[in-house]
Amino acid sequence: MRQSLVTRLALHAANLLVIAFLLLPLAAATIGALQSAKSLQASTRSVLPPEWTLDNFRVILSGGAQEGAIFEQATYLPDNVKKIHYAFINSVSIATTVTLLTLAFGSLSAYTVARLRLRWVMWLMNLNLVARFVPVIVVMIPLYVTFRQLGLLNSVWGVIIALTGFLLPYGVVILAPYFATVPRELEEAARIDGCSRFGAFLRVTLPLSTPALASYGTIVFIVAWNDLLIPLILNNRAEFMTLPVVIASLVSDLFVFHNLMMAICLIALAPSVILVLLLRRFVVEGLSAGAMKG
Amino acid sequence: MPAAPKRRGRAELSAGKLGVVMNLPTLATLALVLAYPIGYAAYLSFHKVTPAELRRGVFPSVGLGNYQRILSDPLFLLALKNTLVFTAVTVVVELALAIAIALLIDQRQVWTSRVTRFLILLPYAVPPIANGLIWSFMYNFDFGFLNRLLFSAGLIAKPVNWIGDPNTALFALTVPYIWRTLPFAVLLVHAALQGINPELYEAASVDGAGAFTRFRHITLPLLVPILVVILVLRTSFAFVVFEEVLAITQGGPGDATWVAVWYSYKRSFAPPFDVGIGAASAYVLALIIGALALAYVTIIYRRIE
Repeated sequence: MRQSLVTRLALHAANLLVIAFLLLPLAAATIGALQSAKSLQASTRSVLPPEWTLDNFRVILSGGAQEGAIFEQATYLPDNVKKIHYAFINSVSIATTVTLLTLAFGSLSAYTVARLRLRWVMWLMNLNLVARFVPVIVVMIPLYVTFRQLGLLNSVWGVIIALTGFLLPYGVVILAPYFATVPRELEEAARIDGCSRFGAFLRVTLPLSTPALASYGTIVFIVAWNDLLIPLILNNRAEFMTLPVVIASLVSDLFVFHNLMMAICLIALAPSVILVLLLRRFVVEGLSAGAMKG
Repeated sequence: MPAAPKRRGRAELSAGKLGVVMNLPTLATLALVLAYPIGYAAYLSFHKVTPAELRRGVFPSVGLGNYQRILSDPLFLLALKNTLVFTAVTVVVELALAIAIALLIDQRQVWTSRVTRFLILLPYAVPPIANGLIWSFMYNFDFGFLNRLLFSAGLIAKPVNWIGDPNTALFALTVPYIWRTLPFAVLLVHAALQGINPELYEAASVDGAGAFTRFRHITLPLLVPILVVILVLRTSFAFVVFEEVLAITQGGPGDATWVAVWYSYKRSFAPPFDVGIGAASAYVLALIIGALALAYVTIIYRRIE
C-alpha cells in the first residue's frame, strides 16, 4: 500500500516526537555531566553550558585524587563515591554470578517441565508464576531479619542468593517452552548412542537452545545490574554497595551537585544500555516469551 | 549451594527421580528466598519487631495489633490511595501509548520508524534509581533541565516548580516511571501485531474500510488478550513503585507522594525501625497484588490450553 505524502510526514513527525522523548533524559544527563557546578549555577536558563569539561568523570574515576577545575571552591566528595570502584566491581560480579546461577538452575527446572512432564513440576511452574508477583519488599523484610542472624548482611553472597531466587521463576517461563521445541528425536538418537537422559540434555537440548539461554541471561543480567532494593536493604557499607546503592546514597546528600550526580548515573547506566542495544534481539524475544507464553 | 546432579556409573535415574534431582537447586533457592520469607513475613506481621527485639531475638506476639495500627494510620491509607492513583494513571497512559507506538514502529517502510524501533528498548536498560536521579535533575526548580528547555523555547517566563507542588508531585512522578516501563508494553503489543494475518487487512480494504475502521474492527479486537496481560502485569508492577519516589520526592512535599512500598520501607528501615509494622503493611500490599496475580494465571492458563 502506498502512503500519501501527508501520511508519511505525519508518521515522521510522530517518530521524531517519540525519539525526542526517549532521548530526553539521556541528553539531559549527558549535558549535565559534561559541565562544572559553576556553569550550572551561573546561568539557570541556558540549555548548553558555556564550556564543556570531563572533570566530573576524572574526579569520580580517580576516587577524588584528581580534583580538577570543578572543585575550585568545594572539595567534598562522599566516601561512597571515593570507593566507587568497589561498587563497580560488586555490580559486575553480582550480576555475572546471578546470571550464571539462574541459567544453570533455570535450565535444569525448565527441562523437567518441558521433557519429563511431571505433574508436580507443572504445579511448581504455576507457583512460580504467582511468585513473580510477590512484591520484593514483602520478602526483603524477613530476609533482612534472617540474613542478619546468618551474618549475610554486608556481603556479596546475600545479594546474589536473594536475586537468584527472585529471578529464577522467569527462567522456567522463558526456557521451558523453548526446550519443548527441540525435537525429541534428537535426544532419543543421542540416548541410543549411549548418552544418559541427563547427558542428552547437556549435549543436545542445551546447545540447541542457545537463543533462549541468551535471552534469559541478558534479561537477568540487566535486572540484576539495575536492582536497587535488595542491595540497599542488605548492604550499607561502601565496600559492599552496588552502583545503584551508591546512587541512592547521594539522594539526600545536599553537598553533591547535579553535575557530579549525572556523571555517576551515566557510569552506572552505560554498561547495561550498551549491552541491551547490542543484544537487542535476545531481549525482545525474552521479554515477549516471558509474558506471552508464560 | 546444591551441586548439579552427577552421573553415577552406568546407572540411570528414573524420570521421576531425575525430575526431583534436577529441581533441587531451584526448589532450595525458592524455598530460602521466596517460600520461607513469605511465611516468615506473615509471622513477623503478627509480632512486635523493633531493634530492641531484634537484639534480644525474641519477638512478642501482638495479635492483629500491627494490622489495626496500619489500617487506622491515615498515612498508610494515604499511601494506598496515592498508589492507586499512580497505578491508574501510569497503566492507562502506558496502554494508550503502547498501542500507538507499536503501530508506529510497525511501519517498516518509514525509515524514522526503524530508528524508533532501535531506540525503544533504551529506557529498559537504565537503572531505575539512575532514571529517578536524572529526572530529579530535570525537574529541579532552580537548575533543572526541563525549565531550561522551556525557557529557551520561550514557553515559560518563570521557572515551574514541578515536584514542589503537592497537587502535581504525584503526577510528576508518573512521567519518569512511564518513560522507564513503556518499552516492555510496546514490545508486547508489537509482538502481538506480528501475529495478525495481513490478509484480514487486505480483505477489509477491498471492502472499502478506512485505516481507522480497520484498526477499530480488526487490530483492536485481536490485541485484547495481550492488552489484558499488559494491564495485569503493569498494574502489579506499578503497585510496587519505589526507586523514582526515593530519587525524586522521598515521599514529599509533605506526604503527597507516599506510596505503599515507601511506607513499608520507611517504617522498617528508618526510625522507628518497626519491622512488624513494615511486614504487616507489605502483606496488605501483597494480598492486593496476589488477587491480581491469580487473575493473571487464570488468563495465561486459558491461553496455554
